[in-house]
Amino acid sequence: MTAARHRGAAIALTVFLAAGAWAALAWSGQKTLESLLPADGAAPGWSRDGEPQAFAGEDLYVYINGGAEIYQEYGFRRVVIQDYRNAAGRSLSLEIFEMETPAAAFGMFTFKRSGQGKDVPIGSGAELEDYYLNFWKGRYLATLTGFDESAATVAGLIAVGGRVEAMIMDTADPPPLVASLPAEGLRPGSVRYLRGLLGLNNVYPFPSAHGLGFAAAVKGDYGEGLFLVVMDYGSDAARETAWDELRAALEGSDKFEKVRASASGSMLFRDSRGRYAAFAPSGARIVFGVSSDLTASLLLVAQSR
Amino acid sequence: MSRMIGRRDFIKTSAGAGLALAMSKALAASTGAAKAKAPVIAVGVGDDYGKSAVRAVELLGGIKKFVRKGSKVALLPNVQSRHPGSFTKPEILRAVIRLCKKAGASEINCLSWQTVKQWEDTGLKAVIESEGAGLKIFERDEALFRPVPVPDGVALKEARVLAALYDHDALINMPITKDHAGNKFTGTMKNLMGLNSPVNNRTFHRPNWKTDPDDVAHLDQCIVDLNKAVKPALNIVDATEFIVSNGPFGPGQLFRPRRVVAGTDRVAVDAYCAALWALKPEEIVQIKRAAEQGLGQIDPNKAILKEEDVI
Repeated sequence: MTAARHRGAAIALTVFLAAGAWAALAWSGQKTLESLLPADGAAPGWSRDGEPQAFAGEDLYVYINGGAEIYQEYGFRRVVIQDYRNAAGRSLSLEIFEMETPAAAFGMFTFKRSGQGKDVPIGSGAELEDYYLNFWKGRYLATLTGFDESAATVAGLIAVGGRVEAMIMDTADPPPLVASLPAEGLRPGSVRYLRGLLGLNNVYPFPSAHGLGFAAAVKGDYGEGLFLVVMDYGSDAARETAWDELRAALEGSDKFEKVRASASGSMLFRDSRGRYAAFAPSGARIVFGVSSDLTASLLLVAQSR
Repeated sequence: MSRMIGRRDFIKTSAGAGLALAMSKALAASTGAAKAKAPVIAVGVGDDYGKSAVRAVELLGGIKKFVRKGSKVALLPNVQSRHPGSFTKPEILRAVIRLCKKAGASEINCLSWQTVKQWEDTGLKAVIESEGAGLKIFERDEALFRPVPVPDGVALKEARVLAALYDHDALINMPITKDHAGNKFTGTMKNLMGLNSPVNNRTFHRPNWKTDPDDVAHLDQCIVDLNKAVKPALNIVDATEFIVSNGPFGPGQLFRPRRVVAGTDRVAVDAYCAALWALKPEEIVQIKRAAEQGLGQIDPNKAILKEEDVI
């Protein structure tokens, strides 16, 4: 091999490695999670207070003792926490969660928001409550907590949050499953995207996990006490197995009273609170609607099939 | 910290207040023999949380019923996070330390394997220091936890409890009641996980349903079992202002019933606290199972409620 060929190979290797590094950086979207923390004064009037904390993977249990499981269910990678303070002594806390996927960040956002706060134009979705703000963008979820409800602190939440949002390069839309909820009558802010039984049981508790091994699910409200859940199993075959398991579990539970099953394959139960829960298969999905009104439950499920 | 709650919370508040009122009436209606052995739920209501704590304990018969002169007392406030409504209020801890001193306790210690930062951030460490009590923080070292048999354990045959607890004569359990994403409710029983080893706690939270679809209540049953092994002398619950969503860590929506609740029957106290925010105690698995397994009274008709406004 000649010297020229050696040089050529070295150049090619260098170009290859540089391209790989660039691709890796572009793929990761951000250099470090800490790089998303606004510098002093980036949000006018607000400066960092103390050192940031960071936790990754299973160490989340150290930070959120007893409450980390829901983050893990959605898919958690890392979190960084930084306090900020203004000249008047007001303080707020910023938590930036890096989730495994944008769907996980969106899901955790929907889990944490109340749906009764104020929408603010930050990231791909944001909700401002009395003293805290949640928003998501790409695979990031940010929670900012004020330690008082003064106008200055609430303004600080938005200002600091806005700076974080500006530094996140990733963007993403909500998962396609969300669109399976019928738009008519859907209450804005009520959508919850779920990735497992822990999340589902916060929406509607089931006595067992039989038939509830869905890949993802989405819930939306259509009135006071009237809601619909669409559970996606990934394939018709998986759904068929889940349907049989779920039906058997509900029929065998003392918390559900079977009202009727229809020729179309749907089934109707009354739960321990006297609500009607209508279930129906739909391709790779199972949908169920719950309401104290029998007709409303059935109609909601029928609309979604 | 006082906050307004939103309209839906107001509705929830009203519903909760309604349930609590109904429970109160049911409690008041219980008479005679049924009352003789009935557990007492004592409640101080008002904006001065320290005074409410003192009053609740007085309604139970006074601190000397629970803390003997010269005894060593362990306290277990909740120090989960500094988000509002997620940790026991410092003024309640201050009041309880003072009560213990008044009873002649020789030593008063808060026990924890949580970080010093959590104690600092919540303001609880400052109270402990200013009142001259002790804060004993232990490493998350399994050697510091003692295996304790669980009598009639269903999910657990053995708990792993902070060994330092057994250097004390009495435990005062001091949770804040609040939401919990895992099992909907935090109260006296859940709080004892603060003494159980973190490694063992992780097994409580294990999603057993992935291998056994019928085991969806693993966490609840572990909590009940832990409570069979560890029995506080007294429970004093912060139900003044707490999160009713995004628990146990927060931030979440705040609800403010302005109550401090005391009692020795953990089931009765938790049932009362759950009803405050419109939860049905019989639908909270840990409360229901604890009642079924003989840990206390879930039926409000078989308890005595002593509730007083504190001005």
